[in-house]
Amino acid sequence: MKKHALFTTALLLLASMSYGAGFQVNVQGLRQIAMGGTGTGWMWDASSIFYNPGGLARLKNVQAYGSVQFLMINTQYVQTPTGGYSDRTKSQVFTPFNFYVGGRLKEEGKLALGLGIYTPFGSGLTWDDNWAGRYVIQSISMQTIFFQPTLSYKISDAISLGGGFVYATGNIKFKRAVPIQDNNGYDGYGELKGRANGVGLNLGLHIMPAPNVQIGINYRSQVNMTVRKGDANFVVPNALASSFPNTNFKAEVPLPQVFSVGIGFKPTPKLTLTADANWVGWKPYDTLFFDYENNTPALEDTKAPRNYKNTLALRVGANFKATNRFSVMGGLAYDPSPVADGFVSPDLPDADRWLVTGGFTVKATDKLTILAALEYGASKKRDAQYLPDNFNGKYQTKAFIPCIGVTYDFR
Amino acid sequence: MKKSLFILGIATLSACKPNLKVDAPNANGLDFSNYIAVGNSLTAGYTDGTLYRSGQINSYPNILASQFGVFGPIEFVQPLLPSETGFPAPKRVLGYSTDCTGATSLAPVFYTGIPDTAGSTINISAQGPFNNFGIPGIRTIDYLLPGYANLAASFGFPYAKRMFTSSVWRPLDELRLNNPTFFTLWLGSNDVLGYALSGGEEVSTMPIHPNNISDPTQARAAYDSVLYTLTRNGSKGVLLNLPDITTIPFFTTIPANGLTLDTATAAALNGAYAGTGMAFHTGANYFIIQDIAAPAGMRQLKKDELLLLSLPQDSLKCAGWGSMKPIPKSYVLDRDELTRITNFTTNFNTYIATKAVSMNLPLVDINNFLRTTQTGYKYNGVLYTTQFISGGAFALDGVHLTPRGNALVANQIITAINGFYKTTIPLIDIHTYPGIRFPL
Repeated sequence: MKKHALFTTALLLLASMSYGAGFQVNVQGLRQIAMGGTGTGWMWDASSIFYNPGGLARLKNVQAYGSVQFLMINTQYVQTPTGGYSDRTKSQVFTPFNFYVGGRLKEEGKLALGLGIYTPFGSGLTWDDNWAGRYVIQSISMQTIFFQPTLSYKISDAISLGGGFVYATGNIKFKRAVPIQDNNGYDGYGELKGRANGVGLNLGLHIMPAPNVQIGINYRSQVNMTVRKGDANFVVPNALASSFPNTNFKAEVPLPQVFSVGIGFKPTPKLTLTADANWVGWKPYDTLFFDYENNTPALEDTKAPRNYKNTLALRVGANFKATNRFSVMGGLAYDPSPVADGFVSPDLPDADRWLVTGGFTVKATDKLTILAALEYGASKKRDAQYLPDNFNGKYQTKAFIPCIGVTYDFR
Repeated sequence: MKKSLFILGIATLSACKPNLKVDAPNANGLDFSNYIAVGNSLTAGYTDGTLYRSGQINSYPNILASQFGVFGPIEFVQPLLPSETGFPAPKRVLGYSTDCTGATSLAPVFYTGIPDTAGSTINISAQGPFNNFGIPGIRTIDYLLPGYANLAASFGFPYAKRMFTSSVWRPLDELRLNNPTFFTLWLGSNDVLGYALSGGEEVSTMPIHPNNISDPTQARAAYDSVLYTLTRNGSKGVLLNLPDITTIPFFTTIPANGLTLDTATAAALNGAYAGTGMAFHTGANYFIIQDIAAPAGMRQLKKDELLLLSLPQDSLKCAGWGSMKPIPKSYVLDRDELTRITNFTTNFNTYIATKAVSMNLPLVDINNFLRTTQTGYKYNGVLYTTQFISGGAFALDGVHLTPRGNALVANQIITAINGFYKTTIPLIDIHTYPGIRFPL
């Protein structure tokens, strides 16, 4: 009888999961990063496969493109309402990368083909194992890779269309402490690991009403990342091991649809100005549901409210072609957070953020160009709550992202 | 050039780190340098059925004192025991016990290590006066009782005898040795808890017996005296009211309708008790209890009546208690007894609330907080409830608190102080303190 009395209430284990600060990582092309993340309108290179497949048919030749970004994110937490406790995430470097190859099959043809391999969602964070929020989260990481074969067609000199099919694959890891202590005072913990995949589309329309004006519209569909058979492992005192069986789990995380409109304008031969608006459809991410294969009274399926809201990000950029071989870029963006008040969890302590960016390109040879970009992002200081766990605090996140890449033209 | 690059590098790196400023705590003129905590076992750090050293160290007053320490070092003297085993009884720990049916399960058992209680009985009043003036077992009315220390010891509460300078003084006289600059006062629970723990077995021949509910008039007068003593030098402080003890796990863990019967047994009981008005059916039934007023001297429990956690489980499982024979009334709180308990608690809480207003002191509504916890109080991802063991807040005796439970109380107190005195004392990270510990 006592045994039954022990765990009649669930311990609400693993009630939440997300990917860490910078859930959506807008670093799919270096010129675009350097210009505030704009790229739907003006077509620069093979990274159009991501930013606007409609523009790929504008590439005069086949180009190979590769870049890597060094994503350094730091988050600080201060307890509220009184302060007195503070912690920082451990310094980590993530390396999202991009690889594109594509362009017109024939120089004077209308059809372009391409393949993009890129990482639009990812990153993670690690708090101290013993920090105040350890029963909410200790560490999280997510990596995704999108494969996108792409077709683009130039209808006329002014209009081109394009589309790609997206296959996304990735893995998710999540760890947090379980509030059951052993005789030595050590907490239990639970670790979730799983492979996830999903499919989607990336469609674009590109219009060139005048030689010095380009307009783009891009739609990237929602991708539901599904974990069909993840592994959930628990370490708890032996006395309760049967209540926390190691089990498989199922979960689904919607990566949002993004609808973008962009414009580029070249007032002088050396200067290009760009502006983008991205509408991001976060709303479907309202609840995170974990379905454990083996349930016990202590280990029930969990539903964690997320209540994300749709956002609109605004971006501007400029490119100055200083010489035939050397260009410099700069940009600015405002990227609001999809996380509503009351649902700011330390697994993604998100806040509205400003981004300042810059970069340069050097044309080393006729075929080879070296690209470099730097993004700096600082979130607003957010005094926030995660009501489902009654975890309150003030957060700030800063990101510093140096990037390097290269393009090679086959001609 | 190199130097400026270096400076640029440093500037860039530091710009990468978030920089949230934390306001310095503000005491707003309060002086915590001589903080005195007046109370009973909950204040003393009594837990798991006894008093032991780490329980005292994790008492809510000591936790509070460490928070008050942000305003400057304070000395918070506790009557610490030398050992961990428990004084006078051994503490309870979670372990495995085998019941009369041969089934082994996880349950609170007495600590079986080598007792280390040498020195526990020695009078340590020379270390005082004590900032933690929590005395397990003490009632409000005891504060005016001369010779309390020896009397309490005769009832199994040897704590005042350890702490007090005099065997003939009243606790109030001992308290007067302190000159608090700040105080917390959480007194009154034992004026009704002894009655409840005895199953309402009053000892009317001995008015001072701990099984009796205190006379409300005497209790109020004693409370006034304690409060006057604490505030005689203008000290500020906090009052805590009484939790509704009928909601604590000691009284709520064994369900009143825990008698589970199969069809044959139900029929057999119906036959055996024919004519008594008691009826049994397949499934959950209310236990049979002793009731002198009932026709057969026994009856079935009613829905809201409570069984005590001290009720021997083996007697229920194998000796036919509650079915073949009635559960003795000393393990039962019936409706009349519950009404008396509730009346005392409600009236005394009203009085405390009145005193808080008239003395201009903040009131910590622990009773309300406990009520909140009944349905679950979420803190930093952990759900605390009043469930026995799994709830995390109550210790293995079902009456007192775990260190995390104490820290929850301390945060309620800090919140009240901050609200009333416009201070900004940092709240406690409850999870730096231990919870229930499970065997490996």
